Amino acid sequence: MMDSGLSGKVAIVTGGSRGIGRAIVELLAGEGAAVTFFYRDNAQAAAGVVAAGAEGGRAIGAEQVDVCDAKACADAVERVAARTDRIDILVNNAGVIRDNQLAALADDDIRAVLDTNIGGVFNMTRAVIPHMIVQRSGKIINLSSVSADKGGRGQTNYAASKGAINAFTRSLAVELAPRKITVNAVAPGVIETEMSQDVRDLAGEQVKSRILLRRYGKPEEVAYAVWFLASRYADYVTGQVVAVDGGFKME
Amino acid sequence: MAQNEISKEEILAVYPKVAETMADALGCDVEEVKLDVSLIEGLDAESIDFLDMVFRLERAFKIKIPRGKIVENARGDLPEAEFEQKGIVTEKGLAQLKSYLSEIPAERFKTPMKVADIPRLFTPETFCKLVISAQREAKAAA
Repeated sequence: MMDSGLSGKVAIVTGGSRGIGRAIVELLAGEGAAVTFFYRDNAQAAAGVVAAGAEGGRAIGAEQVDVCDAKACADAVERVAARTDRIDILVNNAGVIRDNQLAALADDDIRAVLDTNIGGVFNMTRAVIPHMIVQRSGKIINLSSVSADKGGRGQTNYAASKGAINAFTRSLAVELAPRKITVNAVAPGVIETEMSQDVRDLAGEQVKSRILLRRYGKPEEVAYAVWFLASRYADYVTGQVVAVDGGFKME
Repeated sequence: MAQNEISKEEILAVYPKVAETMADALGCDVEEVKLDVSLIEGLDAESIDFLDMVFRLERAFKIKIPRGKIVENARGDLPEAEFEQKGIVTEKGLAQLKSYLSEIPAERFKTPMKVADIPRLFTPETFCKLVISAQREAKAAA
């Protein structure tokens, strides 16, 4: 099998201290990429990821960055670029969930979800693309969700943010194609993470009955799709949303 | 800083590095980047090439060039409403533009001129002036 091409590549992953983000960080670093992940507030979890990386001889760095803050994103990206002189891969993974029926959603529940999930994608991507445009290469991978396409009670805010990611992905793919930068998304279904714990607790059996494979996904199963899109195997793939959802049924 | 204070000597001083940087962005030979060639019509530059040029110039000269800076510089002190109306450059605006882009022959300014078409006028000399004014602003701020 030919080499994935990830060795020596410079990657930034947002929301990398836990869940799917952590699995992505570890998989890319395991392939020899120099990964810096951003985390917002769980310094302890972040330190754990860095320490585990160091133990395994992998290059993992961490920066505390709130993706809602455009300037913080730009500054952090420049710090990474100053160190590494290039940025090859951006994984926009940071996301939050504040489920509730629309009538009961507080202003802050709407704002936090949109500002983080889609605002953060804008902030990070805008900061990174000057480097990729000049390099004439780059891979941008956005974490979407099955809820971008399938309705779910209590998820207007989350679904809207993820639908926006899919639209963003397709438009940016058009913009950046002349510079050989690919832009894709991965849309997970229900994955066993802290973030989906409430959904699984509240509607576990009902949710499982909608999944063809009758089980939840594991974080690393999503990370494999990100790995593929970040690798040279996906050089000819752009503007796509890849579902990793165990076959979530249409309703 | 008014552009008429930028001398030809200053422009020629930055031109070689600007031309080299622009050639890298456009993927063309540096000899093709003549001081007065239209970037869009003469060198087939597209909108992403303009971004590429700006990013490279920022690095090469260690300056910051805010997006939309050329039109902003051209507009000078003229309020936006007096410079353009509904996307068309006003008479006053056109006079201002011609004075800022003094290196560009008068016959290349078409009327009515759309704001969106202003980049069609740009030449490497336009970017030399952009670099010089950014250097001056950086110096003034220091």
